[in-house]
Order: sequence, then C-alpha cells, then structure tokens
Amino acid sequence: MNLHHPSLSDALAAEYVLGTLHGAARRRFESLLPAHPALRRAVTDWERRLNQLAAASPSVTPPPEVWHGLEQRLFSAEARRSWWNSLALWRGLALAGVLAAVVALAPQWIAPTPNAGLSFAAIRDRNHDVLWTVAMSEDGRLHVNSLRAMDVPANQHCLLWMKTDDRPPLMLGELPDQGDARTLSLPARMPRPTQGVLWVSMQPRSDDAPPAQPLYRTRWQTL
Amino acid sequence: MNAVNALPPMPATGWFTIPARAFFIMASSDSLADLLARCALNDRRAFEALYQQAAPKLYGLLLGITRDRELAADLLQEGFVRIWQRASDYRPHLGQPLTWMGTIVRRLAIDRSRRGDQRRRGELGEEDWAMLADEGPGPEERLHTEQSETGLARCLERLDSEPRRAVFLAYYEGLTHDVIAQRLDRPLGTVKAWVRRSLQRLKTCLGESP
Repeated sequence: MNLHHPSLSDALAAEYVLGTLHGAARRRFESLLPAHPALRRAVTDWERRLNQLAAASPSVTPPPEVWHGLEQRLFSAEARRSWWNSLALWRGLALAGVLAAVVALAPQWIAPTPNAGLSFAAIRDRNHDVLWTVAMSEDGRLHVNSLRAMDVPANQHCLLWMKTDDRPPLMLGELPDQGDARTLSLPARMPRPTQGVLWVSMQPRSDDAPPAQPLYRTRWQTL
Repeated sequence: MNAVNALPPMPATGWFTIPARAFFIMASSDSLADLLARCALNDRRAFEALYQQAAPKLYGLLLGITRDRELAADLLQEGFVRIWQRASDYRPHLGQPLTWMGTIVRRLAIDRSRRGDQRRRGELGEEDWAMLADEGPGPEERLHTEQSETGLARCLERLDSEPRRAVFLAYYEGLTHDVIAQRLDRPLGTVKAWVRRSLQRLKTCLGESP
C-alpha cells in the first residue's frame, strides 16, 4: 500500500468506508490508520460524504428492549433511585457490601471452593488495596462497589472488561469511581463474565475501544 | 433507464431498489444538533428525544446491512451507548447529526460483518422484508422533499443507474464486490470499476458543489 500516493489512499479510504474493502486488505488498512493522520482524515471525509445516505434509510421502529437496555447500561446509578423499593436491587447491594467488607478485611487467602455458586472479584491496586468489588447476582447482573474515590480526569472513565484467552476484551460497563455503587446490566447474548478474567482500563470517554493491556486485572473467585 | 429495465429482477429486498436520486429529509437536523449538544451536558431527556427521533432510521439502516433483527437491535444499542458517550465530539464539519450517528452505527455493522461473524438468530424472512419495504413512504416519496437538492442527492443522480445501484447495494446492504456482481449478474471486474469510478465521481461532484 503506497500511502504517499494520495489518490490511491483516498480510493482505499472510500472503499473502506463503503465496506467494499474487505479481508486482508481491510485489516491491513485498519492497521495503518493509527500512524497515518492523513489516512484518518480521508476516512472521516468519506464518512461525512457517504453517510449522508443514512438519512434515506427506511424508518423502522426498534424493539422497546433497546431503549430499556440503554437506560440500564447508561443510567443505572440514577435509575437506582427510582427503583428504591426493588428487592433484587437491595439484595444485590447488600451482598456487594458484605463482600466488600469481607474482601477488605480478609487478605489473599479467600480460595475458590468447589460446588459454590457465588462469584465475586476484588480489583486491587499495586499495594493490594481493594479498589472495587464486583459480585454477580443470579440474574447475571454485576453489582459493583467502588471502595475508593479514584482520581480520574474529567474526560476519562474507568471501564470493566471481560478478557478470555482467544478474544479481545468485551466491555461490561463503566465503573463507578467515587466510592459509589452501580449495577451493570450486560448486553443480551454476552457470555457469562465469569468465563474470563476481569480487566479495568482508564480511557478517554470518546474512545471505548478494547484496551490492549489492562490497568488492573483480577480473577473471579467463588464463595 | 433502459439499462435498469434490462436487468434481471432484483430479489425481494424491497425499498432500496432505488431508481434515481436520493431523498434526504433533514428538516429536523437543527433540533438533532441541539439534542446532541444537550447530551454532551449529560441531559438524559435530550438523549431520549434524540433516540426517539433518530433510532428508527438507524435501525432501518442496520436491518438492511445485518438482515437480522436481534443483531440489528444489539448494534443499535451499542451505537447509542457510543453516541451518548461521544456526544461532545460532534462537530458540524463532521456532517449532519444523522450522518455522524450513521457513521457510528454503520461502522459497527460493517466491522461485525467483515469479522466473518455469520451468526443469524433473528434473521429476516421474505415476509419481513416485504413489511420493511412497506413501512412508511418509499424512497421515491422521500425523493421529493424540499431538501432533496443536497449535494449528494444531486451527485448520485448524475451516476449511471447500474453503477449507482452497485454503490447502494454496498452501502445499504453491506455487500462486497463479488456479491454485488452476483446480484447484478455482471462480471466482478466491471462491478469493481463501477464502484471505484462512482466514488471518484461523487467526490469530484461534491467538491464542485457550493
């Protein structure tokens, strides 16, 4: 790929945006983007041109689950207030609180025990202080407690990921970072998060691409 | 238009067998831009209004590419998570708000399909497609809006009908060259040349427009 040939790189950017650049050529093109601002500009220009066509798509009412899922994923902390009387919520929070206490008081020796069903994880910093606890409730939601206010720049946030050996990390949601709690509802059809290890990343709010390396990582434990 | 009539009949994918120029409804753009600006300030009500206005178009776009209701719904949700998180990144030079949001969701859909993830859980049947085709006004009705003289609509109209159809198949159904060639019953090399030249012409034409 000769990127010094402007008309060629522009043509590739056009076909990349249209989607007709595929297979190895597409992957190669994507691998060049981070290091070539001119190529990224060409992609942005083509997106601005071609995606005007989006306006001419037919309007189809999406299923209501999409909006409900968005509310849960994005606003679960606020939604909690209106679900003040939700038993499942309180059960989850109480559980997370107990676990937080257990984990904060008990050191590393909490070992997985067989035949137990309760999964939780503690995310520790380099001094082994617990920063977050994550507990999975029976319905598959994750109850996350922030135990320490984090110094996160305003334009950044902490994200929780599930990492398995053979795949890039899958995002589980945004972590609370001011000593508060949050319930994360996972997208439908996501594998059970306990199938992988947990990663935490801190990254710009404008970029939620999977991280190459985590800021922290931890394994699930079973109580 | 004789070339179009000479083509074998298109499969029943309905709405997008577009005969002519594009069809842009942008009357609500200003308010979408306002809503995006309010989303950047964490205004949830604005986000809900933005969703109500823009989600049907974006869901229609995703259905065309994925042909899978469940996958399209997942991608729509993922897209709106990003729209909420990146609302402060929107700038007018990136295009109309719907163009910018279309970029976000279409990129997700193309990435997914190019990853070779061929799972189909809620795949659309032919009757679904017929219904999709029947929902709301067709593209020909959308043609004649007062905003239809936007640059891209005018430039698309200048393309020959077969190359334009190849571009539409790539854009709205996410098809690759070889599938387009099969669909239009034309040699692969011809289709590649059509797409390449059409894109060049669109760029030139848009560059001329005021």
